[in-house]
Amino acid sequence: MSAITQISLLKPFADPTALSNVGSGSLTPGASSAVGEIDFGAMVKDMVNKTTTSLQNAEATSIQGIKGEASAHDVATAVMEAEQSLRMAISVRDKVVQAYLEISRMQI
Amino acid sequence: MVDSLKAAMAISGSGLEAQTQKMRIVSENLANAFTTGTTAGSDPYQRKTITFSSEMDKAFGVNLVKVRQIGHDGAAFVTEYDPTHIAADDKGMVKKPNVDPLLEMADMRETAHAYEANMQAMKQARDLINMAIDMMRG
Repeated sequence: MSAITQISLLKPFADPTALSNVGSGSLTPGASSAVGEIDFGAMVKDMVNKTTTSLQNAEATSIQGIKGEASAHDVATAVMEAEQSLRMAISVRDKVVQAYLEISRMQI
Repeated sequence: MVDSLKAAMAISGSGLEAQTQKMRIVSENLANAFTTGTTAGSDPYQRKTITFSSEMDKAFGVNLVKVRQIGHDGAAFVTEYDPTHIAADDKGMVKKPNVDPLLEMADMRETAHAYEANMQAMKQARDLINMAIDMMRG
């Protein structure tokens, strides 16, 4: 169990502090800690955290299912939840990248 | 603020769990439909019953279904004359379990249909969530 507790590809996301500077500094210099402002970096961090947690949960439940400790519908629910989180994260990422490319193509 | 569709999936999940428990009880009853006692005049297998109850889930704020109690059917045992049987009393009568296989088959079909219904509700909720996510693409 300990050898397969993490999907190795997700390891870069497991440490969300690496992502903490995303969007918070460069777009709004010096004003990132203003009261009432929604920090985009924190939002991304939170979403990546949630996705990682649900993926790990799905993995653990799948392993339990294979061992016969969890029922088939428990496994299906956990895997489906992880799939949804991942789809959501990918969709948001695509949107953000699309917006960035749109700005980068702007004529100056 | 809780996602209603996620809550719907959790409710369906609890329904699936409840129906699997019921299926287990039906299997138990069917398997033991001919289980008699092992000593003279002793009681045979007593039919098990299952009851559900609605329970508030704190995380989602919705009512999930839970197994309330697994009880025993108090119906009288059928007796049969079989003096050579190990469980025969001094008059040669053997008590047979109060399980009616026909009733169990009906229960089994009911369980299968309820499971399927919960599964369909879960699939529908999943499809709706996926539709909302896919709206962001393209």
